[in-house]
Amino acid sequence: MEYKKETRAVEGDWPMAYWQWKFESIALIAKTREAFKEKKLLGLKCPGCGLVYFPPKPYCYCLARPDKWVEVEQTGTITTYTFTGAWAYEGISEEEQAGGAPMIICGINFDGSDTLTVCLLDDAKPEEVYVGMRVKLKWPEVIEGRVDDIAHSEPLKE
Amino acid sequence: MAHTDVAVVGVGYSKHVSKRRDVNIAEMVWEAVSACYEDAGLKPKDVDAICTGNMPAFEGVNIPELWGAGHWGAYGKPLMRITTGGTTGGSVAHGGYYAVSSGLFDTVLCIAFEKQSDGNSTMGLNTVALADAAAMFQQGVDPGFLAAFGGGAVGIAVYQAASYMKRSGCTTEHLDKVSVLCRTNAALNPYSHLKQPGLTPEEVAKTTLMQYPIRFGHVCPATDGACAMLVTTGEKAKKLIDKPAYILSCASCSEEASLMGIAGSGTTNMDPCVQESCKIAAKWAYDLAGIEDPRHEIDVAEPYSPFAHQLLMFYERLLLCDDGEAPAILDSGSMNLEGDLPVCPSGGVISTNAIGASAMERVSEVALQIMGKAGDRQVKKEVHKGVAHGWGGAVNLNVVAVLSDTPRRS
Repeated sequence: MEYKKETRAVEGDWPMAYWQWKFESIALIAKTREAFKEKKLLGLKCPGCGLVYFPPKPYCYCLARPDKWVEVEQTGTITTYTFTGAWAYEGISEEEQAGGAPMIICGINFDGSDTLTVCLLDDAKPEEVYVGMRVKLKWPEVIEGRVDDIAHSEPLKE
Repeated sequence: MAHTDVAVVGVGYSKHVSKRRDVNIAEMVWEAVSACYEDAGLKPKDVDAICTGNMPAFEGVNIPELWGAGHWGAYGKPLMRITTGGTTGGSVAHGGYYAVSSGLFDTVLCIAFEKQSDGNSTMGLNTVALADAAAMFQQGVDPGFLAAFGGGAVGIAVYQAASYMKRSGCTTEHLDKVSVLCRTNAALNPYSHLKQPGLTPEEVAKTTLMQYPIRFGHVCPATDGACAMLVTTGEKAKKLIDKPAYILSCASCSEEASLMGIAGSGTTNMDPCVQESCKIAAKWAYDLAGIEDPRHEIDVAEPYSPFAHQLLMFYERLLLCDDGEAPAILDSGSMNLEGDLPVCPSGGVISTNAIGASAMERVSEVALQIMGKAGDRQVKKEVHKGVAHGWGGAVNLNVVAVLSDTPRRS
């Protein structure tokens, strides 16, 4: 980039590994990740206000401690979306994009939860997507118990 | 509630451009500060305290006041730095307001700035996103996967725009029109960055798509610039200048972040365009200011809108119309300089974004409109009251200030 010719760059490390969330959050998510292997979505319900957090979270915004595990549905509704492709970077024009079909990224509110999860939407064209569209989770062939096991979704045909 | 009247008596700007290579941070800020002292007819000895702010991550220079105090007349004075992300400048103005209204100080110099070209804004945004990113990495998420989701402010803005368009009926043509409104206003503002006189919606629609629905023409530039503002008590203001702009009220309200609900900022905020905190802050600010009907009492609005849809979205969230009405109001021409409720006569953040300064420039621009000193960008109607807004923080802090030509308790 141009500015690098004008300014002096100083090499350095950014030790992100030391910056971690406390064990509690990680333990909660680990439980949810384990449940992926059984093709289950586990959320945590708050006793104070009844909100269901998926992924789980140790503190609710009402400051009560969500403590009840509940199963969240694998169908949901798109609350917001965007699509992107190679042109999104370095000012490459739409016609010149090399990456093939644009990637559709959407925020999904899975039924039975009160949160938004960001997923890719497969098997759909950008012009077909809309806010309010019904979708379902698309599991990978091999489920490893990772966060990105739930990275894909597809249109729900009802 | 004890309250001293607070008024803006001076405003100063530096030049606002992409790259200031002729000055460093301290020198650039000095331009705004010296212009502000001159505008108010005051000297550093008349100032009781300094309130300053920027987003240090963007320049990579922490505690910049250490470097600049001597250039800003701050030696031997109480000084406080405030940093709240995109709202930094708004919070700095609030800090100045609180310091005077509480009776602690009479005259406070507010300084807000950003010199983005000195650093790496993408790196700066990464430091902001660390809380989310660290949680993801800890879970073993591939960084490439995370990057694909689009990070930073654009990443949030596209989702916000898509859901706003669904809720309001706003079309991409409306986004193009917002860019035209702002960039042609900016052409009348000597301190704006992107001036595009004669810009047409068709030209905006031809710019490259970044991420649906946002095109390059719908996005703010990265700016180097500084803003300084002198606030003082109502009593002193009357002796200093004929037409001070009184800050009637300030209010802020925060929500949790609204995307990427993994561990860190997990939230029940499902829709990034709802911005309930903006409505709450606006209601508080209007109540404090004694404004019952903002739609008719507010004469000019400066919503914080680095992305085109935000001008319309925040116009609604500032309670200037019902939800979903803003696109039609834009079409009616009422938001133009000669309209009933001009919006962003300065050109707004979409034309000029020196991040730390932007939210304070909303306040200073409303102040200039009230003082009648906005030059070519002065709106046609008489301005008695105006509202200034900022959005940022954990991508969901909203700050609102209401200004007027008459003090609160008159």
